Amino acid sequence: MPSVQQASTDSATASEAPSHLLLAFLQSQSQNTLTRLYQRPSSCLSIFRLLGPLERQIVMNLLWLESSIPASTMATWVPHEVRKTYENSLSILSRLHILPQSAVKLALNPTFKTSLRHAIIGGGSSGSFGVPATRDEKHSSPSIEVLDAYALERWETILHYMVSSGIATRPSQGVLFLLQRSGLMASIHGGSLQITSLGFQFLLHSPHAQLWELLLQYLHMVEERQMDLVEVLSFLFMLSTMELGREYSVEHLSPTQTAMLEDLRDYGIIWQRRATSKRFCPTRLATTLTSSSPPLPAAGGVSASAHGQGFIILETNYRLYAYTDNPLQIAVLNLFVTLKSRYPNLVVGAITRESVKKALTNGITADQASRQIISYLTTHAHPQMRKNKPLLPVTVQDQIRLWELEKNRMKSQEGYLYTAFASQADYEYVLNYAKQLGVVLWESSGRRCFFGTLEGHPNIRGFIERRTAGNA
Amino acid sequence: MDNASHLGVVLDLSPKQWHLAAQPSNPHPITLVASLSHLLAFLNAHIACKDENSLALFGALPGKSVMLYSSTMPVNEEEIQPADANTYRPFKVMDSTIMKHIVSEVEALGEPEVEEPIGFVGALTKAMCYINRVTNGSTSSTSRNDDLATLPDPRILVISVSPDQSSSYIPVMNLIFSAQKLKVTIDVCKIFGGESVFLQQAAHLTGGSYIDIDRPDAILQYLMMSFLPPPGLRQLISVPTQDKIDFRAACFCHKNIVDIGFVCSVCLSIFCQPVPVCSTCRTKFPIKTLQRLNASRPNAAPGSAGTPARSSTPARTATPAISANSLPRSTSINPAAVPRVVSNGSAPATSSPMQNGEPR
Amino acid sequence: MPPRRTNDDYMGGQSDSDVSMLDEDELTSRVKAKGKGKATEGRKGDKGKSKVKEQPYAWEASYTRTWETVQEDEAGSLHTAVRDLIAKGRRRRLLAPAEAVRRTIIRHLILVLDLSSSMMDRDMRPTRFDLMLQYAREFIAEWFDQNPLGQIGIVGMRGGIGERIGEMSGNPQDVLRSIAERHKLEPVGEPSLQNAIEMARSSMSHLPTNSSREITIIFGSLTTCDPGNIHDTLDECVKDKIRISLVALAAEMKICRELCVKTGGQFGVALNEGHFKDLLFELIPPPAQRALTRANGPGAANPAADLIMMGFPTRLPVTSQPSLCVCHGELKSEGFLCPRCLAKVCDVPTDCDICGLMIVSSPHLARSYHHLFPVKPYTPITNLDDATSLSATCYGCSVPFQEKVLQPNVPLVDGISPLGRYRCPECEHDFCTECDVFIHDVLHCCPGCGK
Repeated sequence: MPSVQQASTDSATASEAPSHLLLAFLQSQSQNTLTRLYQRPSSCLSIFRLLGPLERQIVMNLLWLESSIPASTMATWVPHEVRKTYENSLSILSRLHILPQSAVKLALNPTFKTSLRHAIIGGGSSGSFGVPATRDEKHSSPSIEVLDAYALERWETILHYMVSSGIATRPSQGVLFLLQRSGLMASIHGGSLQITSLGFQFLLHSPHAQLWELLLQYLHMVEERQMDLVEVLSFLFMLSTMELGREYSVEHLSPTQTAMLEDLRDYGIIWQRRATSKRFCPTRLATTLTSSSPPLPAAGGVSASAHGQGFIILETNYRLYAYTDNPLQIAVLNLFVTLKSRYPNLVVGAITRESVKKALTNGITADQASRQIISYLTTHAHPQMRKNKPLLPVTVQDQIRLWELEKNRMKSQEGYLYTAFASQADYEYVLNYAKQLGVVLWESSGRRCFFGTLEGHPNIRGFIERRTAGNA
Repeated sequence: MDNASHLGVVLDLSPKQWHLAAQPSNPHPITLVASLSHLLAFLNAHIACKDENSLALFGALPGKSVMLYSSTMPVNEEEIQPADANTYRPFKVMDSTIMKHIVSEVEALGEPEVEEPIGFVGALTKAMCYINRVTNGSTSSTSRNDDLATLPDPRILVISVSPDQSSSYIPVMNLIFSAQKLKVTIDVCKIFGGESVFLQQAAHLTGGSYIDIDRPDAILQYLMMSFLPPPGLRQLISVPTQDKIDFRAACFCHKNIVDIGFVCSVCLSIFCQPVPVCSTCRTKFPIKTLQRLNASRPNAAPGSAGTPARSSTPARTATPAISANSLPRSTSINPAAVPRVVSNGSAPATSSPMQNGEPR
Repeated sequence: MPPRRTNDDYMGGQSDSDVSMLDEDELTSRVKAKGKGKATEGRKGDKGKSKVKEQPYAWEASYTRTWETVQEDEAGSLHTAVRDLIAKGRRRRLLAPAEAVRRTIIRHLILVLDLSSSMMDRDMRPTRFDLMLQYAREFIAEWFDQNPLGQIGIVGMRGGIGERIGEMSGNPQDVLRSIAERHKLEPVGEPSLQNAIEMARSSMSHLPTNSSREITIIFGSLTTCDPGNIHDTLDECVKDKIRISLVALAAEMKICRELCVKTGGQFGVALNEGHFKDLLFELIPPPAQRALTRANGPGAANPAADLIMMGFPTRLPVTSQPSLCVCHGELKSEGFLCPRCLAKVCDVPTDCDICGLMIVSSPHLARSYHHLFPVKPYTPITNLDDATSLSATCYGCSVPFQEKVLQPNVPLVDGISPLGRYRCPECEHDFCTECDVFIHDVLHCCPGCGK
């Protein structure tokens, strides 16, 4: 579960935490691990890309300096109003051990500096950008379309499996294990896997975030599988700097990394002709790991353009038109929309109180449900919708929020009702005691009864027993 | 804020100026090859910052301008060395494409062409055309908004080694205004060749920075600190800006760069001396004005003894004879002292307060 | 290009109004335009009449089905229609008059916005206030297009005081930014004409003598709350040669008309949204010459065309040594140096306080030069006869041309090349449609010729 938890804490303390999920993970690693990771130029380049814009500029300002410069010199370039943002950036960098902890003088971590320089101007002999395979005489390398189709098929299999709660085609065992470990799906009473509330939230995220969430989960499992974290990370980073449509050789990979090939193949991140093939191709999922361009290719067919640009039109009367024929997208919509009719390339439905409540009970957690639904609708809005300002009809947005609040209208709490007191004095005596304990939830002196929490019950019960015993 | 940004680079490739810049007699000689290696590292860093960042490089050569590289250019696989494990492939492709084009363009220059004026305006115009094309050049009008959203702050970096060409005053000005309209920031990196009045104005008016590099061996650090951050980021970490900005203009008649000019009130054409008829819009000016202006030609800078006059203005030889010179708007000068006909500027030297017969 | 009211304006301005509304608006404003032309015959000249002549009354116009002019091509796409629109744009440009544009004078304008509570009235949709902001933005953009040397400052009237909203600036972006944030301008309280005019007057006091000083007021209230005698202010304005124009949104007030008549400005009461825009946009073209001589006072010899001596300053950075400026006597580090006497002034354009030279920065002048030296129209290429010599990519943006002909059998219409290829007559380079339009409309500089 940690990955998703991190996501929520991230958003809560957005000003403090770095912009990317993975950076939070890296910050929790030891300096030793990070330094080993920084030995590879491709890792440095990828981590550099994951940093925020200000952090990147600070790194670049320092990268070409041979000696350290006083922190005060650097600070003079920062206008006074944004000093806090700047200091926050410095602390992110120092937690990543890119900058020293005590910031009197600023200089980059020498390992990081050398590697990033190598990445930018070339040189070095680390071979961290992947060794290209020699030209294969028998097979030509796969076209980008083949790779895209493969990645899409694998990825949608996973998501579709989640949406259908275990009815659709099963992904491989490794994927199932990962889904279970991450808490996105759980088996109820030992039966088949069911999607959890976390899983619902996961579905509404962008593909990029979904991918990283799964990979982070993978990283968390690394140690129990006796794999070397640095090897795993640097392989992922290597993949992210590889060229789409080029074949790479497996010969120079470490045993850990060779073992990873199978897992990544299941996620659709890499492509291999056969499991025993001596070469592999990164797919678009891999090469866009550190960029923000869409990691999944267009779905092909009618919705080819729709997939990239968004396909949902939402009207003020809560009707929703989705120009898509993609079963996955329809299934996701079905989570919170009452679908009415379906055409070859169009699905028509309406957002209703029931449909939203269904989504809420399905476990899109209460405090974020409306935000997630709205953000899903926003990111997938049809280009025509983008002309509107605001993008989604305000009525619908507000109503979704209200429906969510409706759910929070009643809060149940278990407890005990104390009633049938012999006298008003008795009643008040016990009530006073319960109030001192702070366990009273509700009281009615007219009817001579009150309601106490579950925790308070043993005390109150003991008190009453002692009292009746004393009276008797 | 963390959006992809587009960088257009206009590279001045004047062989003559680079030759002068590399002379060991300079306090800080710099060769083209050395600066190119710095530039390539800078371009790589730009792409390294974000995978979606785009780039277009234009070269200004004597008499022409060429596009040397753009992110959308198709890659010619055969010409590039095979991929290796030690370099990031996009960097390698970009660097070798740029170098190959520069070498072939420079080698193709013959002796006569070297003397031609540098095609700087052309290169800058192309950079603007390219930005226009990528920002809103898509064929379908519906996706126009999306495209604008993906390229929020395009910018152009001019790397200049040549002095101003005064004949390019109007085109450069037009370019500045189009850049303002498209919200393009123009940065100027002046490596050699004296101050450039026009480029100073370009940087100032588009909110860019103009930097005269005094330590050419540290170009890379200048480039990284001043020109790498996209305009949005410059509010968080400031970049050096220029100190003085020269708002001088070039006159239409002799293409001189002037600091005091005579402006036609109809079409706003600038002349370096009073003329009876505007050469642009054919407006005739009243003779009285001409007399008055001729009388009040700037002769010396009053009250600023010891301040060197800027050299590009017509030579100022002080005539102590007419004290009224220091009162420019005065109309008290006897009109008889001024020649009736001043049409060709060759007034009799004896009676004219206009001391310098300018060449026509 | 004086603003003409066309149907397009309506469609753009209030797309939510239905057809019947539109007709009604059209009608009333036509009647008004006619009536107004009569009432203010002297000042407005033939403008009102020519407008009436140009456009027939709505009920006289023939019924056109605009949607039928848009044709789908065989593939069912609208590309052809879009290309047609581009073609029309091209043709309009080619037919544009080529004579030098007369831009007589350097204009300075203070736009006074009424921010009193009366602006929250909903008689104009959505509110007077929102409509005013919207039109003010369009006004500013259009004004700078037509008056490149001009500067605009913005003053607001609310809570009984004048409020400086935007400093005098020649940069449209600066001015627009100052009124960009609606919530900062929330109307409240009473307006004060006198305070606002005094504030506007004081901010124009430093301006050079041969530039015009104008105040344009948008006034929605029926009252003004002034600390002194507004007629004194009016006399001061006449003395300072400040021209006041006023657009009233509610009704005519005596003092408003008097302000305009005495200073030589224009006065109008807006009937509806469209008429409001008309009245405002009539103030965009440079003022007529007659009004100008009058503004300069009798006896001032200021013929139509003149040669003006101007100096181009050097701007000092914020980091330079502080010194006293000559205009305010304050110690400042930034400023502009007069090229003749090297005195330091705070802002340009202005007259140097020491030697009297008019100081402008060269970009102020250069903004209108593209009118003087336009790029020659490119000729469309219709066939690929000499295919060998054709370049494969556009000379501007280096994007490859289409190989095949878009519509093989279409004759040359409206100067459109079926190949999407246009050639500069001077440098003989080929350009694509996008670059052609961009070069002529925005850049005004051919990449091939460098001119």
